[in-house]
Amino acid sequence: MTDVRSTPTVKGRHVAAGAAVGLTYRIVLRQLTSRGRIIGLSLLALIAPLSGWALGSANASLDDAVRLVASVGLGLVLPIVSLVFGGAALGDLREDKTLVYLWLRPMDRWPIVVGAALAAATLTAPITIISIVAAAVLTGAGHGIVAGTLFATVIGLIAYVCVFTLFGVWLKRFIVWGLAYILIWEGFIAQAGAGVARVALRKYTRSILVDRTGVNLKLADFSLTTAVVVPLVVAVAALAIAAWRLSNQDID
Amino acid sequence: MSELPPPTATLPPPLPGQGGPPAAPAALSGMIAVNAVSKFFGSVVAVSDVSFAVNDGVTALLGPNGAGKSTLFRMMCGLTPPSRGSVEVLGFDPRNDRDVRGRVSLVPQQDALLDHLSAASFLEFAARTHGVANPEQTAMQALATVDLAEVGPKPVGQFSKGMRQRVKVAAALVNDPEVLILDEPLTGLDPVQRRHMIALFHRLGDEGRCVLVSSHVLDEVAKLGSRVLVIAQGRLVASGDYRDLRELMDDRAHRIRIGTSDPRRLATVLVDRGLVSGLSLDAHNVLVDTLDVDSLGRQLAAISIEIGVRLTEVSPLDDDLESVFRYLVEGR
Amino acid sequence: MSGRGDAQIVDRGFQRYEGRRSGVPGAIRSVSWEGIRSTLGLGRPARTKIFPIIAVVIAYLPAVVFVGVAVLIPGDILQPEEVADYPGYYGFIILAIVLFAALVAPEVLVSDRRNGMLAMYLSTPLDRRTYLAAKAVAVITTLGLVTLGPPLLLLIGYTVEGAGPDGLDGWLWTLVRIVLSGMAISAALAAVSMAASSLTDRRAFAAIGIVLLVLASPILAAALVEGADLSPSLRLIDISTMPFELVFRIFDQPGNFPELSTWSVLASNIVWTLGGVAVVWWRYSKLVIAR
Repeated sequence: MTDVRSTPTVKGRHVAAGAAVGLTYRIVLRQLTSRGRIIGLSLLALIAPLSGWALGSANASLDDAVRLVASVGLGLVLPIVSLVFGGAALGDLREDKTLVYLWLRPMDRWPIVVGAALAAATLTAPITIISIVAAAVLTGAGHGIVAGTLFATVIGLIAYVCVFTLFGVWLKRFIVWGLAYILIWEGFIAQAGAGVARVALRKYTRSILVDRTGVNLKLADFSLTTAVVVPLVVAVAALAIAAWRLSNQDID
Repeated sequence: MSELPPPTATLPPPLPGQGGPPAAPAALSGMIAVNAVSKFFGSVVAVSDVSFAVNDGVTALLGPNGAGKSTLFRMMCGLTPPSRGSVEVLGFDPRNDRDVRGRVSLVPQQDALLDHLSAASFLEFAARTHGVANPEQTAMQALATVDLAEVGPKPVGQFSKGMRQRVKVAAALVNDPEVLILDEPLTGLDPVQRRHMIALFHRLGDEGRCVLVSSHVLDEVAKLGSRVLVIAQGRLVASGDYRDLRELMDDRAHRIRIGTSDPRRLATVLVDRGLVSGLSLDAHNVLVDTLDVDSLGRQLAAISIEIGVRLTEVSPLDDDLESVFRYLVEGR
Repeated sequence: MSGRGDAQIVDRGFQRYEGRRSGVPGAIRSVSWEGIRSTLGLGRPARTKIFPIIAVVIAYLPAVVFVGVAVLIPGDILQPEEVADYPGYYGFIILAIVLFAALVAPEVLVSDRRNGMLAMYLSTPLDRRTYLAAKAVAVITTLGLVTLGPPLLLLIGYTVEGAGPDGLDGWLWTLVRIVLSGMAISAALAAVSMAASSLTDRRAFAAIGIVLLVLASPILAAALVEGADLSPSLRLIDISTMPFELVFRIFDQPGNFPELSTWSVLASNIVWTLGGVAVVWWRYSKLVIAR
């Protein structure tokens, strides 16, 4: 056997934040990139352009097109794809008990969370942006809806991925809780009134779409500034809480 | 470990309700210092008021399954905080001090690796996350250390349990740790690899590192060295050299086999002189139990000359680790 | 215990079980019950009960509200059926049922493969067939909590309020229809969710797969039928709607898609159910159990 003392002596070192983000990003990206996951979610995402094409074939109005993008694209495809990648970014490592290989290192916690969220966003972005924007294009309802859809999708993507990364750090059954948030909270309870809708990300993405297209959607009355700033603030807060939680939770 | 702390362990463990409240002990110091540590999971007490200090060399943490060994290790690495008390590693709090984590390594008990990575990539990743300057070279050296250099390019997901165990040990070496904590590291290894691994641990200990190895297999621990920490039901039961611990067990008779040309005659004299508390005979041996092994040792040769019997063997039968463990943990 | 004279062995670490052995039926009962317990978080920390409780509350709350409305508003003004009839009730709780299905089957099936319990179960009198039967019983029974319980509560509430079905015959016939409906929904969702759970070793993926299948199939069906103007029969691919459409037919109502014949709706449910069972059996018959 080789003498391990021949390895470089490295007392009291730590990994710089940038390097830690990069290391986490690469390892989480590789962990998340499974063929089954990519194919399955891409098939799901196909629902959006398929629905857009169906609507476009029927010469639908701009109102119908916006409603389709808001419900199928921003209400279903975007949050669910974000949940799968965002939640699994650190949730899978927790479940596999391999988080210890990142946690027990001379690194700060926030770069781990940021790197994981970036990896999740890297995989979520092409699937969601392409499919949802394609849906908007295929409705044939004009350029306004396409630009608004792109803008709303990007803002929603950032917020959803960060929030679901927090779910993955905090909750053991992050997928079930995430689904409950998407289907029950956003899809059901938040429809009940403007008050609860404020704590549903869907309202902000819908508001962006409304601002860009001029179409009237229910519970989507925020100004563009609010609709952009609040999701970004939520994203930063989610990552901060995730980093705090990662520092303070038990690791298996 | 230059020397274990003054007896923080008592023998046998005190029964509940015995004695008054313990005086607050002075904080221990060492490469690893565990001071009055308890850990509760809800109503379950996993570790109860444990104190010890460990320095360089190999020390075995011994205890039956569920004794609290892994919980103690997790606290030493900062993976979970103590409910009470404090843990210091190299003088720092392992849970909150970022940089000390670069000087410590853990081989976790669970069989979890990043299965999609090759062994070389996994070790390179481990080296990079420790901020090692030359991660590729370090990874290859660590792989060679555990005799896995030839399978470096293969995914660890395809490895046998023994190979995965060796990958975990190699990953724990990439940062040249001053403190190495190994939770059941010999599980799944074949006898040859087990021997290699034990030799590696000794070498690491001889280099001045603090090597703490847990096991519930007594045979393994005996090979790891004589310094042990014995834990049972979450409490530290004993610490020190297990041969010294055997000496401390003065309420328990030593069993010794004496080979002789005339067992019956020798046995009669030993009983007459009150040197044994029990014995049995066969054609060539006397098996004696004695509470005063020193007196027996001093007088045995003289007696044999005096009565004209020849001695062919004097062997202690219960100063091994298993005997100590049975006494401490199982009370028999 | 054994003894010789005064001596006796009082206890040993391991003792052979000498009691009655309940065989395969007993093993199925035990495995089913354990599945139900783990899904509902019985005997486990409070946090594991939160989600089942939420799903159950969502499933039952409308029934409680509707019965309350029927009590508060006299029948002459508002008939209970106008508040919510039995097949229509599922429309209020479909999300809770889907989410519950996404929780139940992965918990019951995937965990055993991940933690090595499957090998242990198969070392008992159970074989793969009986093991899966036990698991199916657990999934269907647990789903019954949200598919069967709420309409039963509705029936009991309306009956107590004096607005239930007319006569004993009518009441029993309604009960039979409710039970058939609950069983049909449970069977279809159990088969599909168990199929999804058999294809992955992660509970999260199984859960997401179930939800996606249930949410995506109506969108796909609508796109094909309404968008592409293809045959209305393509609605039958919709696993989310067809079990509930069958419930309307069980209650002799035309449902949401009257253009589909009752036989085709029934056939769709049978195909989904048997298809799910086939996928589960295929997966488990090929499964190599290493530990």
